[in-house]
Parts: sequence; structure tokens; C-alpha cells
Amino acid sequence: MEQGRRRALAGIRILDFTWVVAGPVATRILADQGAEVIKIERRDSLDLGSRRGGFTGNLFRGKESTVINMADPRGREIARQLVAVSDVVIDNFSARVMHNWGMDYESIRQLKPDIIAVSMSGFGHTGPQKDYVSYGPTLQALSGYTLLMRHPGKGPAGWGYSYADMSGGYSGALAVLMALWHRKRSGQGQFVDLSQFETISSVVGPALLDVLVNNATLAPFGNRSQEAPAAPHGVYRCAGIDRWCVITIFSESEWQAFCRVLGNPTWTREARFTTLASRLEHQDALDRYVEEWTQQHTPEEVMRRLQPAGIAAGVVANGEDLDRDPQLRLRGYWAQVNTPEGDEVVLDGTPVKLSATPGYVAAPGPLLGEQTDTVLRRLLGYSAEHLAQLKAERVVASHAEIMAERQAVS
Amino acid sequence: MTDTTPTALSDLRVLDLTDLKGALCAKLLGDMGADVIKIEPPGGDAMRTIGPFLDGTPHRDRSLLFWFYNTSKRGITLDIHQPAGREIFTQLAAQSDVVIESFAPGTLASLGLGYDELKRLNPKLVLTSISPFGQTGPYRDYHSSDIIAEALGGMIYTNGAADDPPLSALGLQAYHSASFFAAIGTMSALWARDTLDEGQWVDISIQEAATAAVEHVAPFYHQGMGVQTRQGSLHWSRYFRVARCRDGYVMHCTLGDWTSLVEWVKGDGKEQDLGEPQWEDQMYRRDHAEHLFEVLDEWATDYSVAELMEGAQLRRIPYAMVRPLEALAEDPQLNARGFFSPVEHPELGRTFRYPGGPFFFTATPWRISRRPPLLGEHNEEVYRQELGMSEQRVLELASAGVI
Repeated sequence: MEQGRRRALAGIRILDFTWVVAGPVATRILADQGAEVIKIERRDSLDLGSRRGGFTGNLFRGKESTVINMADPRGREIARQLVAVSDVVIDNFSARVMHNWGMDYESIRQLKPDIIAVSMSGFGHTGPQKDYVSYGPTLQALSGYTLLMRHPGKGPAGWGYSYADMSGGYSGALAVLMALWHRKRSGQGQFVDLSQFETISSVVGPALLDVLVNNATLAPFGNRSQEAPAAPHGVYRCAGIDRWCVITIFSESEWQAFCRVLGNPTWTREARFTTLASRLEHQDALDRYVEEWTQQHTPEEVMRRLQPAGIAAGVVANGEDLDRDPQLRLRGYWAQVNTPEGDEVVLDGTPVKLSATPGYVAAPGPLLGEQTDTVLRRLLGYSAEHLAQLKAERVVASHAEIMAERQAVS
Repeated sequence: MTDTTPTALSDLRVLDLTDLKGALCAKLLGDMGADVIKIEPPGGDAMRTIGPFLDGTPHRDRSLLFWFYNTSKRGITLDIHQPAGREIFTQLAAQSDVVIESFAPGTLASLGLGYDELKRLNPKLVLTSISPFGQTGPYRDYHSSDIIAEALGGMIYTNGAADDPPLSALGLQAYHSASFFAAIGTMSALWARDTLDEGQWVDISIQEAATAAVEHVAPFYHQGMGVQTRQGSLHWSRYFRVARCRDGYVMHCTLGDWTSLVEWVKGDGKEQDLGEPQWEDQMYRRDHAEHLFEVLDEWATDYSVAELMEGAQLRRIPYAMVRPLEALAEDPQLNARGFFSPVEHPELGRTFRYPGGPFFFTATPWRISRRPPLLGEHNEEVYRQELGMSEQRVLELASAGVI
């Protein structure tokens, strides 16, 4: 078990004001590698189900939930004291919020001159649309994904989820690390203005360069190759209910091997399928033949038969497939984490695997305010009396008090 | 006219042995100032043969796919499969901070360039390996591609309509996710290097990176909420769906300021039952999304895409135009913030606009410090000036096909 070993980012303290989803993804990536993440929350924070595991637990795991009333000047003073002992302050509000709290970069650098501030807003802190509001699907629509992700002859489908939040999240984590590297060498902090709209636009790839350079008009790719030309290349129906596999064949030798696995049926020798160029030209017809074969097999069988022959093939995994995937399991991707209540939750692990300082999920998602006391004692040396007073005046709150209050109300 | 603004990673040297699977990782470091040397086989990286091409004409120095992934890199040719090439590579690795590679697992080791050998040569080196399934496990040697990693990582099962096949991402997003996680791993390992006084091996599985790039599929399954399915353009949260309006498509959003939205719809007399108080409850809206969007779809048909987006944003409701990708080129916000970078290609006598970076650093800005290298463009600079080889030696290596 890796638990307890020193991790790469041990000693880095992050004051985390982020809310769903990109911001928490950024800080969870850093927490998995050992950064100390102090998550500042509101006492009326709405919990979407369990905070230990599931959607919320996956976002918050390994962080310390600290409830501070930022509407109260005394709460903001506590936050300023925390800034003074932190390396990084991160938020994903629009520009106004941190400014109104006196927590914008220009203000907090007075408290800690080498502080790094990363603000992950939707559209950035400058420009005519800086105050526009967005969620992941908003940004995906604006940046062209939703319209282009469609099957031929069908309406736009786009992502079924908020990939923009995930890409924004890993960009945020990378920004923190690069800014820390610069600080280590120069002694200087800085402000990083991360526009999630720009992040998602930056990862469209060569298609956008094609627009900028060639003035290209793009047609939907569907499931056709966006890397080297390949045919067959697609998602094929398999035996079973809503079961699918992917097959991608790039080279002539892969095509020959594919034909052999299928038993060299007559159609594979048709003139229109003999070269990659002709297969590309007749992809629809080719796909129908391929699917006649795949429909006789489960996706696992397709993968098991094609991979040993050197052909890239895989299962279109749903949630259950992911959980039982032998590769993910054997590499220990899933994190089984014990909760203080004596349960165990299964969380996504980290895809960032370091040989000498492996990352891990150190704790499940925190309950709201679970670490308020510990954080303020440990980092600011607050006494029990001081904490009691701050709680009585509703400047900070611990989990037990919030729960007691909510029960009294309901 | 050299730009003297400081860069964040100017003290780092990176050897980039990647192909398409990991090229973005080295670009992310290069665009932030690292000295990235892209090492290509003497015949050129396969990326150079993949379109789209400048003006649609295939040419090894005019692949826009190569261009996109290889900004801010110097380029040399070197065949590390030959002994003389390996020897040169070890000289470069001895002077570098990072090696990034995306060969099939075991390839570097079979050449005597595995992590253990590189570590003996340069204990502080960080080796970052990006591979389809990682360096271990039963699928280690399986073949893959971007869409296969997307599929096995759960990125595509929930895209598309229920009765259509699952739908791939736009862009090679399994590769892109892997490159970001690889860059995060590289920077984490560099950070730890000062404490450990040694480098380490970063093992990135593209499948795992894809799995980590989906927010809902595994978390809901592991919470006992079953298998998430495809539901067309309806987002899993059930607060977003595409609607057709007068001149195109718009992305509805029923999360956030409901009162403003329903007042707007009421003002047009199109609210049907949406004025009833139960709709104020966010959970009710989620549970009755089909009916809610039917009513809103009917309301939206009279509007243009721009009217809906502007009207909604004025009311602080996160609606968006479902735009063609082409619209990004003229987007006022991206242009006002200088997202697109002019990049000069002196060999063509032309300057092109490139997509910008994922973040804006105020003190050490992201920037494309050089256009993608022509094949072998920096051989002279690296071999003669930096490794001190004689002109004769360089000619010999070239004629032997080593460089």
C-alpha cells in the first residue's frame, strides 16, 4: 500500500475557493500528488448526494473542508491569514467575486508577495464577454464541439458530459505547477488568468488550425479517423444489448491480419477493399460487412480475437465495463478508500503514476466543515476559546454545528 | 526582435521522442519556455504525412497536424535504433532534464535506453512515458488508437443518441488528456527532484487518462447508481439540451437563474405550465426535463441563435450558441484577449494565426517561441554547436542515415 509515503507535492499548500466542476478537478489532481488543499466552503453549500464518494466525493477527496463566512469581514480576515501561509490561491469565480472579498491578486500579494493566484473563470478576467456565465456544455457549444459531434444525417449531439470542465481542471493543475516552478527559480509569484473557454478551444486540435490557415469548412468526423487515415475505423455493434466495439486498421499488414481472423470471407477480396485508398472510398459498405461479423460476437470477444493478431480493437466501455476492466484493475486505477464511518468508497484514482513518489487518494471526500477546527488550529494556531467564539458569531462553522442547525430547521 | 519576456520553464531542457500520442505534452512545456528538442527519425515523424496540409498539398513541412502539435520545439533527426544514434542520444540525455517518449512499452529498454540505464547516465533525469495502456498490466502490449483509448476509458459510450452508435470526441481527446496528465506528472517529478535529489519515471496510460477525463460514468457506477447511458444532446445532469431555433441551434440551460428565464418566456406568452411554482425547484426541473425542454424548444423556435444567447447572458443565464468551429476564428472574446498567435513561417514568406494556449500567465506568458521545425532544421545547431561535432562527423552521420 502506497498510503503514508511521501508524495511529490508534499509541502505545497493550496487555498481552494473553487466550486463545481473544473476547479475541484484541478485541486484534486494536486491533492492526489500530495498537495495540502484547504477547501473553503459556505455553510449553506448544497450537497449533491454523499460527499464521501460518488460524483462529489470524487471531486473533493483528499481535501480539507473549512467553512468560513466570507460575507463577514472577520471571515475575510481569517481567509487573509490563510493566504499569508499558503503557496497558491485558486478560484473559479468570475472576476467580481474575489475582488469583492478583497481576495483578488493585487490585494493578496500584499499579504504574501510571492503568492500564486490561479483564477479559472469561464471567459477570463478581460474582454467584452468576461462577465458571461457558463457551464461545461455552454463552452462546448461555443467552441464547436457540440455541432461537429454528430452522426451523418443526424442532429448535433456533442458530449454527454462536461469535458470542458475536465480539460479546464487539468489545465488548472498544470498552471499551478508551472507557476510554482517559476517561483522556485525566480522567487516570483504571479496571477494566472485561466479562461475555460480558451482551454477547451486550445485542445480542439489541428481542425482549428485548418480553419485559421486554410479557411477550411469542416464536416463532422463521426467515428472516422482524425489521426492517420484508417479503414475500417469505427464503432461497431456487437452481440448483446447496447454492446459496441471499436476497430481501427491503419496499415496493410493489419488489414491482412484482420481478414485472416475473419476467415478471409469473399467480400474481403472485393476490388473496392484491396487498398487503403479504396477502402476509405467505400467505408460505408466496408463498415456494413465489418458489423455483420462483430454482431456475432461480444465486444470482449472481438478484442480478444483481434488484439493477438496485432489489430487495434477495444470494448466501448460503460460504467460496469470500466469497473471490471482487467487493465485498470491490475494497475490499481480504482482507489478503495475507507471512510471515518467505517464504510468503503471506490473513487477514481490518479492517472499520473510516478515511480519514486507515487500519488494516491489519501482520504474520501470531506463532510462540510469537517476540518474547520483542525485547519484553523494547525495553520493559524487558533485556541479552542477563539474557535468557540467565532462559531458562536457564525464566522466559521464545524460539521457538527451545521448538521445540528439543519436538523433544527427541518 | 527576440522576445525577452521571462518564461516559466526557461531553465528546462526536454528531449521529445513522442509521436502523435504524446506530442502535445512536449508542446505544453515548450510553449511555456522549455527548450524542447524534438527528435525525429531521419525520414521524418509520421505526423508529417498526416493532413490537413497547407493549401491542401501534402508536403513533409506543411502538415497542419504536425504544425499544431510541434510549436516551440527545435527539431533534429536521429535514428536511436542504430548504435551511433544511441550514443548521441545518451550525450543529449546526460544534459537534459526530461525525456518524453511514446514508444511501445519495452522499446527503449530493448535499445539499452530504459529508465534504469538513463538513470545511471543522469540520475536527475525525469523520464515520462506515454503509452496506450501503461508500462504494466495485461493490455500493456495491446494495440490502440485515440478512439480505442476513448472507448476503453469510457469517453464515448455516453455520447450520441440512444439508438445511434456511441460517438467519438472531436479532436484526439484521449491523447490530449494523456498529454496534460503527462505534463502534470513531469512537473510534479521535477518539483520532487529538488527534495529527492533524483528524477523518476512517469508512467502515463492513455486509457487511464481517458477514464479520468469523464466526470460522471465511473463515479455514478461506483455509487451504485448504475450504468449511465446515451441520451442525445441531453447532458447527464438533465439541465442542458440542444434546441433548434430560427437560424440554427442553441444550448438551453435550466440551471441557475430560473426566475429570469421563466419571466422571459412568460413575456413571450410561451410559458404553458412553466409558471407553476413546482418548476422553481431545481430537482423538479431535472426530473421533468423532457417536458421542460419541449416547452422551451417551442419558445426558442421564434428566436435567432444570437438573440437567445445575448438575451440569456444579459439575464445571467448560461445559454450558448451551438456554433460551427469556424466561428472561433472571429470570436470577439478570444480575439480581444489575444488568444490567437501570429506565427511567422519565413520559409514560406507567410504568417499564420495559430490557436493559443490553455491559460494566460501574466508574468511569464504562454507563447509560441518558434514555428514547428522543418525536418532536421536544428541538426547543425545541436550537433555542431552544442555537441561540438566536426562538420565531417555530421556529414558521415547523415550519409550513414544516423541523422
